Amino acid sequence: MNKKLEIKNLTKEFDGKGAVHDVSFDVYDGEFLSILGPSGCGKTTILRMLIGLISPTSGTIYKDGEEITHVAPSARGMGIVFQNYALFENMTVLGNVEYALKIKKETKATARETALRLIEQMGLLEHKDKKPYHLSGGQQQRVAIARTLALNPDIILFDEPMSALDVDTRLALRKELKELQAEYKTTMIYITHDQEEAFSMSDRIMVMDNSVISQIGTPEEIVTAPANDYVRRFVVDNLRMKVESIAKYVEMGNENH
Amino acid sequence: MKITKSLVGRISIFVILFAIIIVPLVRMLFYIDGAALKSVFTSDGFYTALLNSITSTLVATVISLVVAYALAWSIHRTNMRFKAILSIVLVFPMLIPSISHGMGLVILFGNNGIITRLFDASSSIYGFGGVVLGSVIYSFPVAFLMISDILKYEDYSPYEAANVLGISKPRQFGAITLPYLRKPLISVVFATFTMIVTDYGVPLSVGGQFKTLPVILYEEAVGQLNYSVGSVIGLVLLVPAVGAFLFDLLNQDKGNSAYVTKPFRLEENKKRDIIGYVVCTIVVLFTLLVLVSFCVQAFAKRYPSDMSFTFDNFAKTFKRDGGSFLLNSMLMALLTSAVGTAFAFITAYFTARMKTKTSRFLHLMSIVSLAVPGLVLGLSYVIIFKSTFVYGTLVILIMVNVVHFFASPYLMMYNALGKMNENLESVGHILGVNRLRIIKDVIIPQSKYTLLEMFSYFFVNSMMTISAVSFLATPDNKPLALLINQFETYNMMECAAVVAILIFAVNVTVKGIVGAIKKHGEKKDVKSKTV
Repeated sequence: MNKKLEIKNLTKEFDGKGAVHDVSFDVYDGEFLSILGPSGCGKTTILRMLIGLISPTSGTIYKDGEEITHVAPSARGMGIVFQNYALFENMTVLGNVEYALKIKKETKATARETALRLIEQMGLLEHKDKKPYHLSGGQQQRVAIARTLALNPDIILFDEPMSALDVDTRLALRKELKELQAEYKTTMIYITHDQEEAFSMSDRIMVMDNSVISQIGTPEEIVTAPANDYVRRFVVDNLRMKVESIAKYVEMGNENH
Repeated sequence: MKITKSLVGRISIFVILFAIIIVPLVRMLFYIDGAALKSVFTSDGFYTALLNSITSTLVATVISLVVAYALAWSIHRTNMRFKAILSIVLVFPMLIPSISHGMGLVILFGNNGIITRLFDASSSIYGFGGVVLGSVIYSFPVAFLMISDILKYEDYSPYEAANVLGISKPRQFGAITLPYLRKPLISVVFATFTMIVTDYGVPLSVGGQFKTLPVILYEEAVGQLNYSVGSVIGLVLLVPAVGAFLFDLLNQDKGNSAYVTKPFRLEENKKRDIIGYVVCTIVVLFTLLVLVSFCVQAFAKRYPSDMSFTFDNFAKTFKRDGGSFLLNSMLMALLTSAVGTAFAFITAYFTARMKTKTSRFLHLMSIVSLAVPGLVLGLSYVIIFKSTFVYGTLVILIMVNVVHFFASPYLMMYNALGKMNENLESVGHILGVNRLRIIKDVIIPQSKYTLLEMFSYFFVNSMMTISAVSFLATPDNKPLALLINQFETYNMMECAAVVAILIFAVNVTVKGIVGAIKKHGEKKDVKSKTV
């Protein structure tokens, strides 16, 4: 598989939590990679360095073989979806999605066309003239995704995009994200502290602990061969507990049918 | 540290603020000489005034807080009706100069006063009582607004828990309400005390022989141009103001607003509501009485001998250039608002949306003007600018007003920007939209109502202020509010009343327009929800 991103010895020094210490990993073209770890482990810091919102203390980032460590965020061909949506509250759904396109000097007509197509794809066409605060959390996050897709990035980063949403919405959005990925062939890097979320969506998972990578591999690899005690406790045991606590009820249900 | 554009911006603003707040004050302190110190601290007048200031301010502060608390309680803890309109009327006194409150009392209770004549009594309003009463009217609306804010955001859940546990109301007050109120209330106490103790308007108009420190400062510096003695008293007045400022700074309630709070659920309680009505009615009547007294003075042909209705007094005031002073004042207020709002917005943007170590210093610098009483600011400005070309122009009046009223609008914007999504600029960065564009397209539209509030704050206060500007005004360039004192000195109360009415009318109009725009905007937002 082609390497989309190569991260070499990335380090960010901080006084407080969230530091990153000498991290190296690759991201393959078109894959769905989750970065899984507790809050403060440095996963958001990595994401912000990948897109260029903060610059690393040392280390390099390559995209398609070219170094982009200090390239401007908008020139990296990446998009990001934030946990708290970060929508422009004063604009309508349509306004949010076509904003960047209009500024990039596309003709008004093409900007609108692209925006409407994306809004329709996200199932929000009937809401296109509403302001974001009149939408549900899930709908707002869909607007944010559409806004990101508008500039046609080949990598999209997700910074715990679902942690403020309820369970039903999460399940629906998970499915939609996978569908979008299949359609656009976009590489997706997804940050989460939720083991279940990571395992249900990812091609590979990178488990982080306190500024360093504990293990990176497919879900199967991580479950069958956890690299250390921490991975076993934080990932495997946690998943098992969740599954076991539900399993007996599922069985009861099966027996009754 | 890397030198970025934003760092240059922050440093520039810091330097500007330092130059227009701190430098004049330091210059003023250097104006103090041994002779002035000696003459002030050896004169009996000073100690009498100091004592007068302390006693009248203490009494007025206590009364003002009790009134303000009773009002805020009535609005937020009863099921009274007409709360919206009451909340508007109750802050009317904030729209006119402090000196007019004293004048109102003289018109009502003075030797020839409306009420004095009505009851055929002799007047004892001049002196301690009048100063206290006037100061209460002048200050209670501010305290009321502050306490209202505290009560509005008080969490109901502890009371709910206490009710379930069967804890009695008085014990709830002692165990929940008081501890919650203590810290913010101390801030209100200091703010009210500072406001009263540094005001010269009320004691000048109704104090008679009862002189307070600000009156002496005013007489020395404005009347006799004795700046060095004025500076000594200014220094004394800085003490409580700086003290209050430091106390607030060290006692900020961290994260008080971050909690999710449950709004108060008010049960049916007729007795409680009646108390609310009584409290509000008394205060509103008194507030309106003062305004009515201006109207009687202004519209009666010759109070008290000829009470027929007339506009003559308006004509008389306008013949004495009242009209051009009014326009001058409005122009000054308008420009102060424009410059002040822009400056406060830019400063708040730097401190609220670019969190760095240097932004904290800038934040501190931005609120430091809270610690400088208007009188002291004005004195320091006249000392530093009196021989420059800006002296006597509109420019210096605008400048001193921007500095004087800067902190509150700045804090409004600081809070508004702090609440906005922290990633907006990052989104712009990634979408390839530069910061200025995001500010123009997203940040400003989202803070338009706050900008409006800031504008109106600068405007209303510039229209009614008599403190800092009194040192800097020249006969050609005089804010309208200063005419009140001038007319009073010539015993032309009817013209003074006209001026008060004019200021009130302009400020009510501005407040009304701002309120209407906000209401209209909110309605539109609700409408688009149902589309």
